[in-house]
Amino acid sequence: MSQLSVAENTLSQEDFTALSFNNVKFWYPDAEKPAVNGVSFSVNKGEFVSIIGHNGSGKSTLARLVCGLLQADEGSINVWGLDPSEQKNVFEVRRHTGIVFQNPDNQMVASIVEDDVAFGPENLGVGREEIGRRIDWALSAVGMTEYRHSTPTRLSGGQKQRIAVAGVLAIRPDILILDESTAMLDPKGRREVIDVVRRLNKEEGMTILLITHFMEEALLADRTIVMNRGEIVMQGAPRDIFENGEALLTYNLCLPEIINIENTLKTAGIETPPCLYPEELAEHIAACAKERGLDAVSSPRLAPSDGEKRGPWDIDIRGLTYTYSAKSPFASKALKGVSLHIGDGEFFGIIGHTGSGKSTLIQHLNALIKLPQAQKKYKPPKVKKGQIPTTMPQLTVGEYDLADKKCNFLSLRADVGMVFQYPEYQLFAETVEEDVAFGLKNFYKDLKEEEVKERVYAALTAVGLDPKEVAEKSPFDLSGGQKRRVAIAGVIVTRPKILVLDEPAAGLDPLGKKEIMELLHKLHSEWCRTVIIVSHDMDEIACNCTRACVVSDGVIFDCAAPHELFARADELVSLGLDVPLTAKICRALKNYGIDIDCDYTPEGFSQAVIQAFEGGERNA
Amino acid sequence: MLNDVTFGQYYPAQSFAHKLDPRLKLLMLIAYIVALFIADTFYGLALCAVFIVVATLVSRVPFGSVLRSVKGIVFLLVFTSLLNLFLHGGDHLLVEWGIIHIYLEGVLFAVFLMFRLIFLVLGSALLTLTTTPVSLTDGLESLLKPLTFIKFPVHALALIMSIALRFIPTLMDETNRIIAAQKARGADFETGNIIKRVKAIIPILIPLLISAFRRAEELGDAMDARCYTNSPHRTKYKKLMFGWRDLVAALVAAALIAGVVLFNIYAYDIFPAAYQYVVIL
Repeated sequence: MSQLSVAENTLSQEDFTALSFNNVKFWYPDAEKPAVNGVSFSVNKGEFVSIIGHNGSGKSTLARLVCGLLQADEGSINVWGLDPSEQKNVFEVRRHTGIVFQNPDNQMVASIVEDDVAFGPENLGVGREEIGRRIDWALSAVGMTEYRHSTPTRLSGGQKQRIAVAGVLAIRPDILILDESTAMLDPKGRREVIDVVRRLNKEEGMTILLITHFMEEALLADRTIVMNRGEIVMQGAPRDIFENGEALLTYNLCLPEIINIENTLKTAGIETPPCLYPEELAEHIAACAKERGLDAVSSPRLAPSDGEKRGPWDIDIRGLTYTYSAKSPFASKALKGVSLHIGDGEFFGIIGHTGSGKSTLIQHLNALIKLPQAQKKYKPPKVKKGQIPTTMPQLTVGEYDLADKKCNFLSLRADVGMVFQYPEYQLFAETVEEDVAFGLKNFYKDLKEEEVKERVYAALTAVGLDPKEVAEKSPFDLSGGQKRRVAIAGVIVTRPKILVLDEPAAGLDPLGKKEIMELLHKLHSEWCRTVIIVSHDMDEIACNCTRACVVSDGVIFDCAAPHELFARADELVSLGLDVPLTAKICRALKNYGIDIDCDYTPEGFSQAVIQAFEGGERNA
Repeated sequence: MLNDVTFGQYYPAQSFAHKLDPRLKLLMLIAYIVALFIADTFYGLALCAVFIVVATLVSRVPFGSVLRSVKGIVFLLVFTSLLNLFLHGGDHLLVEWGIIHIYLEGVLFAVFLMFRLIFLVLGSALLTLTTTPVSLTDGLESLLKPLTFIKFPVHALALIMSIALRFIPTLMDETNRIIAAQKARGADFETGNIIKRVKAIIPILIPLLISAFRRAEELGDAMDARCYTNSPHRTKYKKLMFGWRDLVAALVAAALIAGVVLFNIYAYDIFPAAYQYVVIL
């Protein structure tokens, strides 16, 4: 709704307000402090508002208060002219609001897409033909029309979440709330969902409340609200919030990386006006170069990386193939001939989107998936004369030959620790100590009690927890971040030589992510030799890994040091992958004739730009 | 795109049998079972055999897939057949060995009952092979609808079944993930005595239960937010429609029962000499 129409109409302010909170407080049962503590704000119809805040800042509680899933203890709420605290209004409020949660799997009731989308309108008692029209509209709004008769379980994360959005849209809500709906998705899926949300806001004039941990997503809104400990501490245009970013740090949030780059450049005298998008920053840097009369600016070339490291704990993979549900109508090839060397002592990254085969790849490393030759029933095929025997995949990890049936797989698993995605979901024991000791006792059956305790305490200390404080607690009483640390301790307790982690930072808030990566560096230098991480987050790979490989469609696209890998940014983008922020800036700078070669960390990039400017000045 | 399912024994194909209304298929199964049970003669049994063979051909499901269902009841078949063989009396003694007497009537009776059981299993297998669990649920809900008059919560029951079907693949994935994670921590599920193996399940079962409860809670919220109430004003989008195929199939089912009844009545007239060997009950 434009300002002009507001001025022309004589309607009261009320009619333009989609929702408003007035000094709202909410306590969870048995909680000492309120989860939402005296919050007042309002959102106009058609507005796009993003809400950021660390885990436990009250964002999700806020969302649940809006759609009447929770009732405020104090203060008043108004949603589309209705008070959700009155029981008779709750149903009506839910017709006006739609909420999409984090996990797409837990929001669907039916096994066929159209049946699931129909669920909301069926509840409202909408007639059959109208339901049909709503399904058509909702599915086309999220771009999933062709999947109308499919099974949601077969779809990708992004597609599933778009179905969840469609299911909510079919109610025809006026306010759409996304409660960290992109947190579990890969970058491609995240883009898909966010594009849908933006289009709904622009084209359908839908009011949007976007709760997110991703600063780039928060930037897309008309207004950003920052929450800290149940209170709104900042609100305003996203630019104003992020450009005065110092305050964000005090609320346990992180500055967008681009602001850090701008600040570093500033110290070297390269003053750019504050900006938030890579293309924008590139434009400003180019303008600075022009101002100084520099042309053909380029940074010194980085030396090519010294290649693969060698050591006693090398991993060598040759010709690895794997097919799921082979010999069934649903057979699918996950790996189509992967050869890879991961050197002793590396911090190695594996990149690829969901379904690229990277999970299958890492499960071979500790023989959770055994090579065909190593399986009990395997018999070598008889080779006829004149026939070339088919080459079998080979895999060695240090001294272990995984193609050998007699390989000691139990001891291998003690030496190759594997932390799965969301490892906190695998905790089970009554106390933290027991849970961490589980693996240790499995591997070393005749270890004395005191020794077990000693090792468990050492592992807990290594992951940054105080054993005296947490050892006796139930793992389920800990916070999300602590649970993840306990789960990691449960793997490193055997002192593995190689530690493999699948998406170690998934689902954490920005600060949590940073802390986990710091933890991994600490473990890499003090606890194990090689660390391998699987990640969607390219900045994470660029900033942490010595080398990385890209798995795409069951083959290795490339394996190199980050600065060589991300120099092929265009190709990565064409594979549907993301690239680091700095690679985006570099790509944009090329259009201005500025050629920056860097390791694609924010610091490395800033230094390269500074050096390029200095070099350029000498030329001029 | 097909309505693909990820579990169960559904055999994806585009056939006459696959396209039938699930309600009719359920009713046909009932008719077929009734026919099996009222058949007193081998003639009637043969008619049922013809029916199931033709139905399998029409469904384009390989015979192997249908026959595999019999594997599960082999023990039951052997047990009941032996029992009938030894305990059934008669006039024509075939074998006498100690206290064991086997009569011709006993052999015929055992064979008759064995085939009746086999045909019963084949029929239900064919239904699940040609019908997705989802449309079976829809069919059941629709057939049970009259029970709403006696306040039976048909809709709630159907929703429970639908959600269960929806979450089976999700929870299976989850189970596999947890098993892999605990195996990576050295858990051993394959060796040891029974107590050891039951104990080994705990690290899988507890995370799975916790996750199932968490999912249930989130699903409850999502359903609430999508305006779910158990009110009678709910509408239903999916409507099952009878087509020409269903009419054909219904006539076939009626013919089957009629045929079996006629055989029961006129068994003597067909071939008087064989009468005593053909009519079993």
